[in-house]
Amino acid sequence: MSGELRLTGLTRVHGRGRPPALDGLDLAVPAGSCVAVLGPSGSGKSTVLRLTAGLDEPTRGSVHLDGRDLAGVPPERRGVAMVFQRPLLFPHLSARDNVAYADRVRGAPRRRARARAAEFLDLVGLAGLGDRAPRELSSGQEQRVALARALAAEPRVLLLDEPFSALDAPLREEMHELLVDLRARLAPTVLLVTHDPAEAAALADTVAVLEAGRLQQHGPVAELHARPASLSVSRLLGGRTEVPGQVRAGVHHSPLGALALPGPVADGPGVLVVRPEAVALAAGHADVTGTVVRVRYRGLRPLVTVDAGGVAVHAELTPGDDVVAGAVVGLRLPVAARHVVPVRPG
Amino acid sequence: MGLIGRRAAARPGRAVLATRLGRAVLAAWLVLPLVPLLLWAVADRWSAPAVLPQELGTDGLRDALAAGGPAALARSTALGAAVAVLATPLGALAARALVVHRVPRPGAVLAVLLSPLVLPPFAVALGLDVLLLRLRVPATAGVVLLLTVAALPYTTIVLRAALAAQDRGFEEEARTLGATPWQVLRGVQVPLLAPALAGAAFLAFLVGWSDYVVTLLVGGGRLVTLPLLIGSAASATGNEAQVAVLSLTAVLPPLALLALVGVPGRRARGGRR
Amino acid sequence: MSGPPGARGRRTGLLLVLPALVPVVAVVGAALTSALLAALGLAPLVGEPRLTGAAFTAPADQLASAVPLSLAIAAAATAAAAAVGLALALAAVATARRSRLLGALSAATVPVPHLVGAAAMGLLLADAGFLPRLLGVAPEDWPALVGGRWWVAVVAEYAWKESAFVALVVGGVLASRSRSYGETAAVLGAGRWARFRTVTLPLAAPALGAASAISFVYVLGSYEVAALLGRAAPEPLPVLAVRLSTSIDLAARPQGAAVAVVTAGLALLAVVLALRALRRLAAWG
Repeated sequence: MSGELRLTGLTRVHGRGRPPALDGLDLAVPAGSCVAVLGPSGSGKSTVLRLTAGLDEPTRGSVHLDGRDLAGVPPERRGVAMVFQRPLLFPHLSARDNVAYADRVRGAPRRRARARAAEFLDLVGLAGLGDRAPRELSSGQEQRVALARALAAEPRVLLLDEPFSALDAPLREEMHELLVDLRARLAPTVLLVTHDPAEAAALADTVAVLEAGRLQQHGPVAELHARPASLSVSRLLGGRTEVPGQVRAGVHHSPLGALALPGPVADGPGVLVVRPEAVALAAGHADVTGTVVRVRYRGLRPLVTVDAGGVAVHAELTPGDDVVAGAVVGLRLPVAARHVVPVRPG
Repeated sequence: MGLIGRRAAARPGRAVLATRLGRAVLAAWLVLPLVPLLLWAVADRWSAPAVLPQELGTDGLRDALAAGGPAALARSTALGAAVAVLATPLGALAARALVVHRVPRPGAVLAVLLSPLVLPPFAVALGLDVLLLRLRVPATAGVVLLLTVAALPYTTIVLRAALAAQDRGFEEEARTLGATPWQVLRGVQVPLLAPALAGAAFLAFLVGWSDYVVTLLVGGGRLVTLPLLIGSAASATGNEAQVAVLSLTAVLPPLALLALVGVPGRRARGGRR
Repeated sequence: MSGPPGARGRRTGLLLVLPALVPVVAVVGAALTSALLAALGLAPLVGEPRLTGAAFTAPADQLASAVPLSLAIAAAATAAAAAVGLALALAAVATARRSRLLGALSAATVPVPHLVGAAAMGLLLADAGFLPRLLGVAPEDWPALVGGRWWVAVVAEYAWKESAFVALVVGGVLASRSRSYGETAAVLGAGRWARFRTVTLPLAAPALGAASAISFVYVLGSYEVAALLGRAAPEPLPVLAVRLSTSIDLAARPQGAAVAVVTAGLALLAVVLALRALRRLAAWG
């Protein structure tokens, strides 16, 4: 059920004279793994799936599945299945017949297709709802059926195009759990597209960040968090503090002062980024001192913006850290959490 | 696997050819009946085996003018306009009542409003002919009344669908912003419904513009519209050119209106990406 | 404003619907009643009213040929219109190589008056018409399509006009949904033919059925095309009814009313049957 997907130099230009929606993407999805393509809307991430599925043709580049070039192979013979943002259950078929669809169009007898469909409905926790018409299902149930339908097609690669973004938060959590379970049981190869870094983190082994059609960085989530390759990657993953300065001999110099860096960094201009959750109130020695200019809350955690010599430092504090606007506070920026993004010309 | 690739590459060639052929046939199906009209309209002489007219000229136009074409054109326009002016607002009110307000027994009300679609117009005209005479309803008023009733199903259907698809949020938003119901109607609802209103009015106009049998039976021969003129010219022989000119006169104004109003359903068609 | 449920909203709704409802009820009710009264001998132009079924039995022979003829013309025209209209709609909304031209041509055919269509079909299909000339067939070798046995020109005119109507209705429905469902089916392994059979056709079926039903009823009750392009005998129902009703023989007029009543009854029956079939077809819609 799981194949190995490789995208090489994949490029798609929608119209003459328009910038490419996707520009020379190289991406490997090992068999049984889940890779998330993360990007803001318009970054070309859905194009990746449409090209992989064969719904659009690449302008340049190739899609290989288990070593076989898929150029010219129509979608129905690629051995992929896709779940879209909208469930798109066929309105004229019951939930069971939707799941049985792939088997039916391949010529399986109705009985066997339905029996298998029942198994897959069971797998997504919808046993007994097979007779329902799509319009009798809730949105979460609809998306589960769509997932079961895609899985029942036994694709070598499962393509997920923001499949949970239309669901509300608790349902989305449920679907994430379901997908993790399914991965554990069936080990499908999954290529997931999302704009939500939390979703990418929850589901994927590695994350590929796409912006304006170009791959920015590809790696495990933790690496992307700790060592973003660019400011855009840092921002997309929720990084907020950005301190322009100069690196000299492994130390970042800026209005915040001289801050030692964890590893060797080339000398020259560089932007220091520190993730907000790494910043803490200083009990003793403070790396940075400044005035609290804004406090808001995420749940019980205070999100604090501190003005330190004209530079904004953002911190996500622990519950109970009582800080009020106007107070002068000392902050600790752990050495390991400091990362410098090179300033690229242009 | 190379085989599948090659087959897939070879297949579009044949498929494209078959598709093109099919579409050419479909285009011919739609266009062919109108070709002789266009040719005859400018033909002074076009006798049997010739594929194209032997002599071009304006005899058809002259005959059409002499037969009262301009007056008939004016009457048809007035009839279409009258039906549109009556049936559109009535349909809009009925649609609003059905979609927004609760009407008792909405299914039955809708069925009654749509019933003129089911009843053959000639049967209605035959049934009412004598009655209208006895009630001394002027023939023209009778024709307008019958055709307005015939047009009401179309305006009601179009506007009901448009109202049902319209987001009530706009109206509620305008109210919370301090607009009075009248202001909401004028400033929000009519502009939002404008395309549907135009479409409904166009369909109602067509009912009046195209009608033959009701005008013939109820109009009592006094209301000579373009279709009546075409009908009498076409049932005689030898005036193909005149029939063609009159027919084109009956086709072009609605086509111009259509271009103005826009193809119904086209808005829904915009592709993604 | 926002449709208050309850008595006040209902009263407003009733007030709004009455201006449309009253003329429809008046016209339809009065027309049916007076046709029925005339057909049953209760509203004679001369003489005493007397309940009789004579108006139905007197033209029994003509009715016996007119009913199947009218049904056959309507069925043939509707079947052709449905098939061609579906093809037109598919071409106009196709995912690959969508034909804007066919969409525009279909839309442009809808506002052509049927009478003009009839005149055009006459000029096209008559034995000295444009088509035999185009094909190089001599008039004496050309089959009698206009006024002939098989009512070809009449059926062709209705099929032509109604195919454009079907295309517009079905195209509207398909345009909004067929693409995304088609793509879904494709990634689930359905080829072109399977997609057509399992997705496009079921999605189009309710609209296709409804448009066909409307076309059928329209053709059944339409007068001018058969009057212009048909033959003198046998006559389809509308032509028969109009001829009898406008006859100088006053005794024939109730028979015309009777034929009109029969036609209306057939149309109503067709609609009821169509609605029942459609309800099953669109159970999911």
